[in-house]
Amino acid sequence: MAEQSGASVGPEDDDDATRSGAADTGGGLGAVSAFFRERPRLRTLAVAGPPYGVLILFFAIPLLAMLVVSFQTGEIGGAWTLSNYTDFLGSDTYLTVVWKTLLVSLQVTAIVATIGYALAYSIVRFSRRTTLLLLLVILPFWTSYIIRMYAWINILQSDGVLDSTLNMLGLPAVSLLYSEPAVLIGFTYVWLPLAVLPFYASLTNLDGDLIEASKDLGAGPIRTFTSVTLPMTINGVITGVVLVFIPTFGSFITPRLLGGTNNIMIGMVIENQFKSAFNWPFGAAIGMVISVVVVALLVLGTRLGGGLLATGGEEA
Amino acid sequence: MSSTGGLTGPIERLVQTHASRMAAVVIAVVIAFLWVPIGVLVFMSFADGGVLSFPPDELTLRWYRVFLSNDAAMDAIVTTLTISVPATAISVLLSTMIAYAVNRYVFPGRNWLQLLATLPIVVPLVVTGVAMVLFFNGTLGLSGYVSVVIAHVVRTIPFATLVILPTLLTFDRGLEEASKDLGADELQTFRQVTLPNIFPGIVAGGLLAFTLSFNEFVYTYFVKGSGDPTLPVYIWNQIRYNVTPEVNVISVVFLLLAVSLVLLAVSLTRVELLARR
Repeated sequence: MAEQSGASVGPEDDDDATRSGAADTGGGLGAVSAFFRERPRLRTLAVAGPPYGVLILFFAIPLLAMLVVSFQTGEIGGAWTLSNYTDFLGSDTYLTVVWKTLLVSLQVTAIVATIGYALAYSIVRFSRRTTLLLLLVILPFWTSYIIRMYAWINILQSDGVLDSTLNMLGLPAVSLLYSEPAVLIGFTYVWLPLAVLPFYASLTNLDGDLIEASKDLGAGPIRTFTSVTLPMTINGVITGVVLVFIPTFGSFITPRLLGGTNNIMIGMVIENQFKSAFNWPFGAAIGMVISVVVVALLVLGTRLGGGLLATGGEEA
Repeated sequence: MSSTGGLTGPIERLVQTHASRMAAVVIAVVIAFLWVPIGVLVFMSFADGGVLSFPPDELTLRWYRVFLSNDAAMDAIVTTLTISVPATAISVLLSTMIAYAVNRYVFPGRNWLQLLATLPIVVPLVVTGVAMVLFFNGTLGLSGYVSVVIAHVVRTIPFATLVILPTLLTFDRGLEEASKDLGADELQTFRQVTLPNIFPGIVAGGLLAFTLSFNEFVYTYFVKGSGDPTLPVYIWNQIRYNVTPEVNVISVVFLLLAVSLVLLAVSLTRVELLARR
């Protein structure tokens, strides 16, 4: 749209640049510009302030508000209490759900990391059409999460695509929907593109000479992989692992749609508190517990060298 | 196919000889895994019959007609657009300001701004969704519509910023210097030099923000209250309570929209940028 105005940087405004700039928008802009030029701190505030304000007011403060509410009894504004936490942490049922969520998240992370790394490695080292392949990998990620889950309902349900295909091949049906494998498949499907990206980035940045050197020194491909490639790309691996683990740990859509009642995860419990039980403070307390786990993992990941929260433009 | 062991171990030898073939298999299998479900959706959207069954008896456009004459689904699309369009505009404006401030100015709290603009990706959606419903609807008493738009802005800022920031980083600063040497002030330089140069990145960031907002479910689900459902919320209700093959059709419409917008974004910038998280 504004492309045409960019090509020529304006030979028309040479000397009286400030004036003409002010004039074509009806005055004021030049004055504004001059005003800010003399007050650089105010200028920075004018640019950085609004987004800062929005993120603090609508992202950081709500999280703090959740912390406050989590210490209140049954309703918002109720009396102060620790009971939300003691009820949650003292209940075997809930702790079992947390434990199960942890196990599922770890399995998903391991599966996605393995497949994703193999894919990224294959693309970077053995393919010339990297852009096309990368596009094929990330495009599914930009489609609706719920629709991707729905696609798997089509496939996994009894007499679905998978069972029908197995039947045609003369194999017994498996009816995977509402089972743990279904949950693992669903998560693997949604997070794979996400994990491939940091893996891809770190493998692209890996100096190929190091691999040659390793081979020259007599190491085979496996030895080269474990002693050169993997250690050199470990930051990307950690970033990918964190990116998969965190959303899995908090998810409620996948276990609800694919897991059925035997595969409850902690995100579903939170959703329940807000959408069915209407015990918001209790839901907030569980949200805080999840947040603590996630923050701990992030700090751990950053310590280990993951580039997730790295600032500036560089990726791990 | 020769796998006669030499000095290296037989497995090493095997990997060495077949490495590129193994890579081709991995690529083919994983990309099939990613695309077969999408192909199934598209195929099933043409399936006849009221219940989901595979393979379908015959192919039909019936469910497309049902979808087009379904007022609830059409209303959901309109509702989604009335949220996504303003949310995208606000998000792109704020993201451009973040990118510009972080890239061009040194100020106390600069790292915090970057952290704040990244964190919404990292905090689990359900946690932020819950926090937002408590604060927006509970404390501030905002309406469902305003809450949802704000939630979508927060959700899309990190992604738009991550696309816009690199275009600022890579664009030749010399042009800005030249503009200032010629007497233009910072605001003029931004409008006439910087903005046109980073515009493709801004449009790409906007397209991705829009795609994300159009697809957004978790924040919307928590914050929207009992207002009109957006399309993802409508689909969620359909899937949970009364699945009809129409959902396949809606999915295909969604897919086409998302794929074309992302391809457009890719054509405006580098594919790797969409990758940055």
